[in-house]
Amino acid sequence: MTTVSDPSQRILELAAALDFRAAAPLTESLLAMRGTALTIDASRVERIGGQCLQVLLSAQQTWSADDTALSFTNLTPGFVEGLRLLGFSEADFTKEEMPE
Amino acid sequence: MDAMAAVKQTFFQECEEQLAELETGLLAMERGEAESDTVNAVFRAVHSIKGGAGAFSLEGLVQFAHVFETTLDHVRNGALEPTADVMAVMLRAADLLADLVAAARDGHTVDSGRSEVLVGELTALSPGGAEAEAEEEDDMSDFSFTPVTVAFDFSDAPVDIGRSYTITFKPRPELYAKGNETVLVLRELERLGELEINCDASGLPSLAALDPEGAYLEWTIKLTTEKGEDAIREVFEFVEWDSSLTIQAADAGSSDAEPGADSTEDAFAALLRSIQGDEAAQPATTAEIIPLPSAEEREAVAEVEAQPTKAAAARNSESGANANAGAPQTIRADLERVDRLIDLVGELVINQAMLSQRVMEAGHVPGSAVALGLDELEHLTREIQDCVMAIRAQAVKSVFQRIPRLVREVASMTGKQVRLITDGEGTEVDKTVIDRLNDPLTHMIRNAIDHGLEKPEVRIAAGKPAEGVVRLSAMHRSGRIVIEVADDGAGINRSRVKAIAVEKGLIAADAVLSDEEIDNLIFLPGFSTASEVSNISGRGVGMDVVKRSIQGLGGRLSITSRPGKGSTFTMSLPLTLAVLDGMVVTVADQTLVVPLTAIIETLQPKAADVHGLGGGSRVIAIRDAFTPLIDVGRELGFRNTATDPLAGVAILVETEGGRRSALLVDTIQGQRQVVIKSLESNYRHVPGIAAATILGDGRVALIIDVDTVIANSQSDATILEPVLAAAG
Repeated sequence: MTTVSDPSQRILELAAALDFRAAAPLTESLLAMRGTALTIDASRVERIGGQCLQVLLSAQQTWSADDTALSFTNLTPGFVEGLRLLGFSEADFTKEEMPE
Repeated sequence: MDAMAAVKQTFFQECEEQLAELETGLLAMERGEAESDTVNAVFRAVHSIKGGAGAFSLEGLVQFAHVFETTLDHVRNGALEPTADVMAVMLRAADLLADLVAAARDGHTVDSGRSEVLVGELTALSPGGAEAEAEEEDDMSDFSFTPVTVAFDFSDAPVDIGRSYTITFKPRPELYAKGNETVLVLRELERLGELEINCDASGLPSLAALDPEGAYLEWTIKLTTEKGEDAIREVFEFVEWDSSLTIQAADAGSSDAEPGADSTEDAFAALLRSIQGDEAAQPATTAEIIPLPSAEEREAVAEVEAQPTKAAAARNSESGANANAGAPQTIRADLERVDRLIDLVGELVINQAMLSQRVMEAGHVPGSAVALGLDELEHLTREIQDCVMAIRAQAVKSVFQRIPRLVREVASMTGKQVRLITDGEGTEVDKTVIDRLNDPLTHMIRNAIDHGLEKPEVRIAAGKPAEGVVRLSAMHRSGRIVIEVADDGAGINRSRVKAIAVEKGLIAADAVLSDEEIDNLIFLPGFSTASEVSNISGRGVGMDVVKRSIQGLGGRLSITSRPGKGSTFTMSLPLTLAVLDGMVVTVADQTLVVPLTAIIETLQPKAADVHGLGGGSRVIAIRDAFTPLIDVGRELGFRNTATDPLAGVAILVETEGGRRSALLVDTIQGQRQVVIKSLESNYRHVPGIAAATILGDGRVALIIDVDTVIANSQSDATILEPVLAAAG
């Protein structure tokens, strides 16, 4: 996971394997960026599991409560397929509101 | 080790256990004990391996386990009779499964041809044959919903477009911690039919309050499937203990169908669960699961709360995958931690011995309060040591369970019929011994079948059953473990053995040997009775190597043989390699320990018995036989000049191949149990020294490697042999 500094917009690049090992570092990275407008780049994601999904959903919720922009970009087929199996669609992650 | 590697390691450990269960169960089935518990245990073993392998994307393993499991399922549901032919294929499939697991673990591959052949054989066993299986395979490789023909189609039943289930699934953190994954479960579920997945994230905290390793989401899944509830439960098999799970069946989607007809499978499934105690604590629920032949919509709810409830316990014991309710609880512990504990207890024993000695030196008499307190401490220390040693103790079952396969393989290669009987599998011995038991035992079993048992026609001609018996047993005897490999074959052909020994120059042509001595010739280096090197026993390893490796463990190997009745190889091993019974001796002011297992007797040399042979070599006459007398002080470099044998003590020891030598030491201090400390890991390897120990006075004492000392002394004095032969 790497971050790219940008004065107006920060970008967080997700790891390829968002499995149970990735959840803790992902949370840390996100918490470090709290309060800033953030774009999450999913271009490397090959698969996503339940715990990383939780982290991303919680981030959406948190950014929304903070009234800060959070968006997802470059959703890969692997990412979308994982989301589908976990009950979400691509649309849930390309809009900024928290999915119901 | 990272988390994933650790999880994977656990998976492979569990595979070992499952493979053992599988083997045990299949062998029981082969004996005709195909009770539902046994068949279920066998099925679960393969299913568990498949499930774990799927989580690690071990495709080859998953594919084969799937075919194997499908065939086992036919046995489980009574569609396939477990005849001898069927069981032979199953056993070979179990062997291949074990190889596939080992290959996945060690990162090598298994001959795909073997796998294909067995897949073909397993498939051919299935009712409906290859076609039904082929469709099943297609179904596996396709994640999207494809309606498939059920193998056991009730041809007269109306066409059913599927049944609807509502599943709620809420993982707990443990589910993820054990390496399981919701996505994989849902993907597996999707193979059963069409899914409508909804995730409830209302319990999700804000990021600051979120535990990344927690579990907050709950899924509600609507599944339309032609499969029964059992198939759904199987998907959740590995995770239901770490989640809250409900499966609710509704009659939706089958309104066109005649109500009672399509529910037959479910009704049977529910009845089966009920019989097996699945719903033992919920009889009312069981009744509800069976859809009644009524047109009105009914709902049946079967809930499995992933809590250790009575019902859960009943299911657990039925499944056989987890410990039975009455079985002792176990924990997995890192071997290094246990070893560290053993080391520390060893230190404690040494420390306690040192303290005792100091107290005695300080003038406290035995019987004084201090001495009595120390006695109690010693007692307690010994007890702790025994308890700690018991942690490392393992049943020999882990070694024995590999033997049936070996027997099958060797029997098929030699064209012999063999029945293996094992006894005393629960006998416990230290893990260090277990780990080094496999090779000698493997060779002994090979030897028993290849050289011991006769071919079926020879046996019949001798009035014996065509099937030979190899009996493998383990028992505790006098603080040691005794393992016997007995066959009911022809016994040792003594005249042939003697002729070969003469031919190979191992004994003199006119040597007069007792039966026992002739039998023991097969342990001599360079001896091989097979006139042609066979593929089985003759792998460049003779019985001498087997004997040496057993002696390396502080053990002894002996043989008894009766012509026409068979032979019995008996190995006796110490229960642990962490402590050793030794004789403490003094050589050139050094304290040394001679392992007691090597010692036959001790004696005071007399002037008339000791003869010099030149070059510093000497022999001693012990009961009409000349035995090399080795000056341990000189051999180990403690002194340069030869010591006076009359002033010392000779310890008669037995070497590999049964040869005897006498070790000359200055004095014998006594006999005691010592804690073994590795010299290699604490210092470096020293030729002639096996290990070290710390004595009560705090001094380090070296433990003599008897075999090496003798081997070295013989290479120093090669002139000895011919002279001895002439003298003998």
